[in-house]
Amino acid sequence: MPERDADASGQRATRARQWRRRGADLAAVLVPTVLFALARTVDSNLLLLVTIMVYVVLAQGVNVIYGFTGYLPFGYVGFFGAGAYGTYIAVAHLGANAVEATVLGGVAAVLVAVVLIPLLRLRGAYFAIASLAAALALSSLVSNPALTSVTNGPYGADLSKVFSAGGSYWMAVVIVAVAMLAVVVLRRSRLGLQLRAVRADQVSAGYAGVNVVAARTGAWLLSALLAGLAGGVYAWSISVFYPTAVFDTTISLFAIVFALFGGVGTVLGPVVGAVVLYYVYNAIGVSDPQYFQLIFGVVIVIIALFLPGGLAAVLVGARRRLALRGGDVR
Amino acid sequence: MKVHRRLLGLAGVCAATGGAVAVLATGAQAGHTRASAAAAPKQIVVGTLYASSGAYAADSLPQYDGVKFWVNQMNKSGGVYVAAYHKKIHVKLVAYNDQSSPTTAATLYSQLITQNHVNIMIPDFGSVLTAPAVSIAQDHHQLLFDATASGTVFFTPNNPYIVGSGIRNSAFWPQPLVQFLVAKHIKKIAILYDANDFDAAQAATLDHGLKAHGIRPVYYQSTATTTTTYGTLIDSIAATNPQAVIEFGYNTNDVPFLNTIPTSGHRFNMVFTVFPGQLPQLFQQEVGTKNLGYTYTYATPPLVPYSKVNLGLNTAQFSRAFKHSFPSVPVTYPAMAGYGTALIAQEALAKASSFTQLAMRRAIGNESGKLTTAIGQFKITKDGAQEGEFLPVGQVFPSHGGTTIKVVYPTSMATTKAKYPAPKG
Repeated sequence: MPERDADASGQRATRARQWRRRGADLAAVLVPTVLFALARTVDSNLLLLVTIMVYVVLAQGVNVIYGFTGYLPFGYVGFFGAGAYGTYIAVAHLGANAVEATVLGGVAAVLVAVVLIPLLRLRGAYFAIASLAAALALSSLVSNPALTSVTNGPYGADLSKVFSAGGSYWMAVVIVAVAMLAVVVLRRSRLGLQLRAVRADQVSAGYAGVNVVAARTGAWLLSALLAGLAGGVYAWSISVFYPTAVFDTTISLFAIVFALFGGVGTVLGPVVGAVVLYYVYNAIGVSDPQYFQLIFGVVIVIIALFLPGGLAAVLVGARRRLALRGGDVR
Repeated sequence: MKVHRRLLGLAGVCAATGGAVAVLATGAQAGHTRASAAAAPKQIVVGTLYASSGAYAADSLPQYDGVKFWVNQMNKSGGVYVAAYHKKIHVKLVAYNDQSSPTTAATLYSQLITQNHVNIMIPDFGSVLTAPAVSIAQDHHQLLFDATASGTVFFTPNNPYIVGSGIRNSAFWPQPLVQFLVAKHIKKIAILYDANDFDAAQAATLDHGLKAHGIRPVYYQSTATTTTTYGTLIDSIAATNPQAVIEFGYNTNDVPFLNTIPTSGHRFNMVFTVFPGQLPQLFQQEVGTKNLGYTYTYATPPLVPYSKVNLGLNTAQFSRAFKHSFPSVPVTYPAMAGYGTALIAQEALAKASSFTQLAMRRAIGNESGKLTTAIGQFKITKDGAQEGEFLPVGQVFPSHGGTTIKVVYPTSMATTKAKYPAPKG
């Protein structure tokens, strides 16, 4: 009897833990989404809000590929640009409406990612540099005058006929929700577990039955999809842009720093990083760019050397220390 | 793990709260500005962006100085005249630094419109940094006084909220160059251009213009705008034995291109680049007399002076006054374009019967073809694109340890004859 009671009690505790976990996951998706949806009621600068949301999505995309697989994509902006131009082509040549075009922008980025799958054979700095080279090559391809009939080449993309500040804002909110949901599901899924195993030791993971190539490819494509959707909604929100604007390597750098600052491999870390650092950038970076660049550089160095887990790791560490201190007192 | 998740949730809430506080603060500021805008304006707010760093800094900063110069001039004279109120009103300049980033520029344009509630908006230098402003301005019914963007996608029949006030669409720039090459009987021409709107439009015009005279370029190739290594490209050009080499790029391309030619071991009878005429001091410093001498460029104000103007200072007066106000800043075309654009905005305020953006657009449209400023004639198409400016062909001549640029074509404007082929050595 006591054993049966213990089993029942254990099951209740497990169920309670599961419900708490589900609640936390739901909150992780809903809280940022709702806050962004409400933000327009207090800030009239919709483009600033859209830009922050775009960086939240990009940081989550970096989180998926770097946080779960260890691949650091310096050329991540390639998918963003592919999404922006995929959206342009969908509107200009396929007659798609802006929402459809934004989704097709995500599809375009996935197609580019499929072509670039062989890059995953590289590791570390080689992968980072190769992905950057791929992004630059893509930028040159898009701006090539020979492709003027498709991409409008160097003459820039014009989406002004579908421009809608409100529409692109709501689309960005939806994409933030999708990105959050994707990371939450990935984190809890079998694939997420496999990816973490691969990241820790790919040989052991392979021996344990994990399909290493398939798992990495899945993360790669998901990451590309998020960047493509972000690029698509960004293109819609500014509507007139040149290749240099959407293939700007600074976009990659910002997304990586935001993700690292918040903490990769976590659900809310990249959101915290993107929101905090982009507001800091908007406050200091514009008025005193030299100080911002200095601060930004110092932050990158500190994260790389001392805080590989980002802000999330600092908070977790502080909490643990507090808990331990509490335990000592008891 | 539970603790970990709770803390991450807490971090997310903190970040979101921080963000909410920040947006609340900016929202409150916006509300305050909106309230004061409802009353008669105590000041005319001019909004602009500039780039203190990055690819466009060399052109953007002088353009910003030109606008600052105009603001100072206006405020010294008691303000800018606003016809709708029959009085002069003090001018306030609001400027943000976009650091040559289109993404940053986009949010700052939005900030100028939605939070600073600018009355006059002058975008940053060039097409790439102007592009993010076009749709935002149109959406908020804010007129853009475009100073130096020549993008073909900006000026459309359904967008009345942009007016080309300074530079002409770059597609028109090479027309005198075509005539010059034809007049010199130069048949073997190599064209290298950067894959961007500004340069590709010039290359296309030159190509079409030459073909109309039965001349097919022996080399017609684009390269990435980020190109700074020209050795291989120059070798390829030299292999076609051209009589003239035309390179369309930004100043960040023109400088390495001109510096690479002597080190490549090749020599060309004629070399044309875009920016030495607009930024002569920069090229003198970065390229030097030896490499710059006898090359060709577009001659722009102040090299081409406009003495008879009916709005603002003439070219010589501007040069003197600008040097006095900004002793360390050279008088260059971007500075004059900033000033000239502000003058067009000044005229819009002086002529518009009501203080609305569309009234200003209508008023300045009516002045098209009637105004001449220090940078030339102001004449716009129905879509608002500037078409009045004319850029003659200039040649760089060594003089007194430095260089001077003289107009060599068209002959009606020429101050000397072209040295073709370029002297050896």
